[in-house]
Amino acid sequence: MTLDAAIAEAARLVAASNQPLIAGLGTDVAGARAAIALAQQVGAAIDHMHSESLLRDLDVVRSSGVMLTTPTETDVHADTLLLAGPLPHDGLFQQIVLGSKRPAERGRALRIFWLCPGSSAATAAGGKNNIQIIGRAPGDLPALLAALRARVADRPIAKVAVSARLLEQISRDLKASRFGVAIWSAASIDALTIEMLCGLVNDLNAMTRFSTLPLLPADNALGILQVCGWMTGVPMRTGFGRLYPHHDPWLFDRRRLAEAGETDCVIWISAYRAEAPPWREAPPTIALTADGAGFRMPPRVHIAVGTPAVDHAAVHYVPSIGTLAALAASQPSQMISVADAVSRIAAALPDDGAGRC
Amino acid sequence: MLTHLVGGRVIDPANGRDAVGDVWWRDGRIIDAPSETRTEATYDATGKIVMAGAIDIHSHIAGWNVNTARLLLPEYHRAAAQRPAATPLSYAGWSTFETGCRYAAMGFTTVVEPAVSPHYALHAHLELADIPIIDKATLAVLGNDDYLLTLLHAQESESAIEDYVAWILDMTRSIGIKVVNAGGAAAFKENIRQFSLDDVVPNYGVSSRKIVNALQHAVNNLGVPHPLHVHCNNLGLAGNVATALDTIAAAEGLPLHLAHLQFYGYGTEGERGFSSAAARLAEAVNAASDVTVDVGQVMFGPTVTISSDVLRQFNARGRARPRKWLILDGDANGAGVVPYDYRRSDFYNAVQWAVGLELFLLINDPERVFFTTDHPNGAPFTSYPEIFALLMSRDLRAKWIADLPRAAMAMTTLPSITREYTLPEIAAMTRAAPARLFGLTDRGHLGTGAVADVAVYEDDADRAKMFRAAALVFKDGERVVRDGEITRRTWGRALTVAPPRDRATDRRMKDYYDARYGVSDELFKVPAHALGRPEPFGVVPCRP
Repeated sequence: MTLDAAIAEAARLVAASNQPLIAGLGTDVAGARAAIALAQQVGAAIDHMHSESLLRDLDVVRSSGVMLTTPTETDVHADTLLLAGPLPHDGLFQQIVLGSKRPAERGRALRIFWLCPGSSAATAAGGKNNIQIIGRAPGDLPALLAALRARVADRPIAKVAVSARLLEQISRDLKASRFGVAIWSAASIDALTIEMLCGLVNDLNAMTRFSTLPLLPADNALGILQVCGWMTGVPMRTGFGRLYPHHDPWLFDRRRLAEAGETDCVIWISAYRAEAPPWREAPPTIALTADGAGFRMPPRVHIAVGTPAVDHAAVHYVPSIGTLAALAASQPSQMISVADAVSRIAAALPDDGAGRC
Repeated sequence: MLTHLVGGRVIDPANGRDAVGDVWWRDGRIIDAPSETRTEATYDATGKIVMAGAIDIHSHIAGWNVNTARLLLPEYHRAAAQRPAATPLSYAGWSTFETGCRYAAMGFTTVVEPAVSPHYALHAHLELADIPIIDKATLAVLGNDDYLLTLLHAQESESAIEDYVAWILDMTRSIGIKVVNAGGAAAFKENIRQFSLDDVVPNYGVSSRKIVNALQHAVNNLGVPHPLHVHCNNLGLAGNVATALDTIAAAEGLPLHLAHLQFYGYGTEGERGFSSAAARLAEAVNAASDVTVDVGQVMFGPTVTISSDVLRQFNARGRARPRKWLILDGDANGAGVVPYDYRRSDFYNAVQWAVGLELFLLINDPERVFFTTDHPNGAPFTSYPEIFALLMSRDLRAKWIADLPRAAMAMTTLPSITREYTLPEIAAMTRAAPARLFGLTDRGHLGTGAVADVAVYEDDADRAKMFRAAALVFKDGERVVRDGEITRRTWGRALTVAPPRDRATDRRMKDYYDARYGVSDELFKVPAHALGRPEPFGVVPCRP
């Protein structure tokens, strides 16, 4: 199928749909802008492939108080890190925990405590002797954090997975830190545990300075969250069928919509990786992905798109600086961008608003 | 295209005009009445009020802080959808698109986002690029950044500081510089919880006063039209009028702009130790001709406070309504987002409301006191029409005062003030003066050559109704609003300044970013092509 034919067929499918879904959203800021504009135009729902863990962090933010800091500030200012649960061995982990970007002359002693890291912590830690591991099994983390929070506040505790003496030492060390940063990944711990950790950080600020730095999912998840925020006022998992952005994390869960048969047309976007949609019984799908995705069900339309900041210039979230940055194409090519492909589909739709519920 | 606006009362204080007459423009610029009149569009403004488009000099409309507030408060959007009349913040228009449309509907055509952290400048400009119709500009926040504090600590020359400030203006594509609780955020990182004008930042050994003074001189020497925009220390605290008076005194005859002065107008009198000190403050402003201020008026209802004053927001987090908040220890200033609900029945909130109005009414020169609510900190910008009405009617104020706690009103001079703003004074405060304050010679007035940003209002005795929904608004000569409804969505530009600078600074800054952060400074820049609009920037000339 030529690109023109693919665009035309995609537009036909979207126009004929009663409830389209734009999911995956692994794309840059321009792609997200185009996708959200299309969703508004046709009354689609939008969801990102990593919204589970992203919304887990956000749920804590929008129901309690949270201290937050930046990767760069953590790098230059922290004297203590409190890691909680298993962490992805991604670039930010290398930067913050292993100090890959930290200039050698700033050899200030950084103390690292790692609660319940799971089995692969030793590899991750790379034999660093400034990392103290407390507990092992991730399942012990909620009770351990609760106990630590109690000890920091000088409240008595019952028996937990590690010795009272060890807890006492950690509690003392955390209180003695000058600027500590708690780090976790919502991919491996639940919202209540995150809230407990943030609560511990809040308590520590009664005595010293402490903040947090969640490690975030890939595929520009945070960039997409930001674009959703400014364009619609709310995060992803939002539907436009009611003619205003209606955010409901259950109702507009992409997997639920697909598996319950509530959507009859999916635009699946994954420009950073050749990721295919995870569900089995798929409605007609228009796939915009990097080349090579292995689909369980062949999509009706597949448009191979360029990778942001590789094939074309792009703005996306850069974990090392904790914000959006504009990047040039590292290997410029003629591959179409998500923004262009989606805009062309939108332009090919009939003008009469067909496709709306 | 030649457009003719016929027979309105044209109020244009910058050109000394207040008379019934016509306004003409061709394409996007105001012209003299042409001899040949093949007019392509004619609008009848008979009986209506004609002003230049309004300019808001301090409104938090875009960027990481604002977006975090959106994401923190999903309930405000739900409220917006279902019961707009009951929840004032829902009027604010919580997306970029609604922000532009709602401003335009009130006749505003230029808005300044006053607090962009240099490292979040691209994010802010991406949001601004998605705000339709209006032109925008940003102020870059300095004063808690390691580079500046290190320069001051090392007693580097004024020119070194100027080079850095010019580099920041270029990197962030800003129109000016703001300082927010100078040194306070850096001190907070060292576990300091109170910070005043003569306190010293640990490790750097520099006082807040020194930081403000250095930035004020740098901005002035670079010829940047907008003077240093100062958010003082001790915001919101009883007795903080002393800080504001000290800061005014520290201006030392050079231009200085004090932001949201209402939040510094508090004395310590009365049983609760909280009173209005607006009269003293207004007197000091009246006497200091180089100082300009904006008010930051409080209006009652739920809102959210968004500030780069991380220390203040941290200390205020316990009073969050609803009880949630986010505090960012940023690369320099950081940010705090704390929702709040100003209540009529609350003694303190009622005093705050009165302090703002006292400042508006007791500062004599409408060209030195600017119309802001510090959106959304004092109130959402959508409450402006009600504030215009309060300024223009003492009877309306008396009605409000009668409904507020008597003990609170007794702590203010507001009940005794009889002044009423006139329409020409409103036009001066919201059009002529803000343009002058930012060096925007092409707007804020209706003289020949000005950008054809024009607002037409019904001359309604209900001033709030009049200002809520303009009869007609033109942006760059195109009609964008009719009867308060958007008729056309255009894309404005972000206005910037580009003072001359020493190119050697580029090398120094590159080395600094490599050494301090291990990343390229290029990552923080705002290239025009990244913003997805054809002409995202306009440049405002600096003074020679």
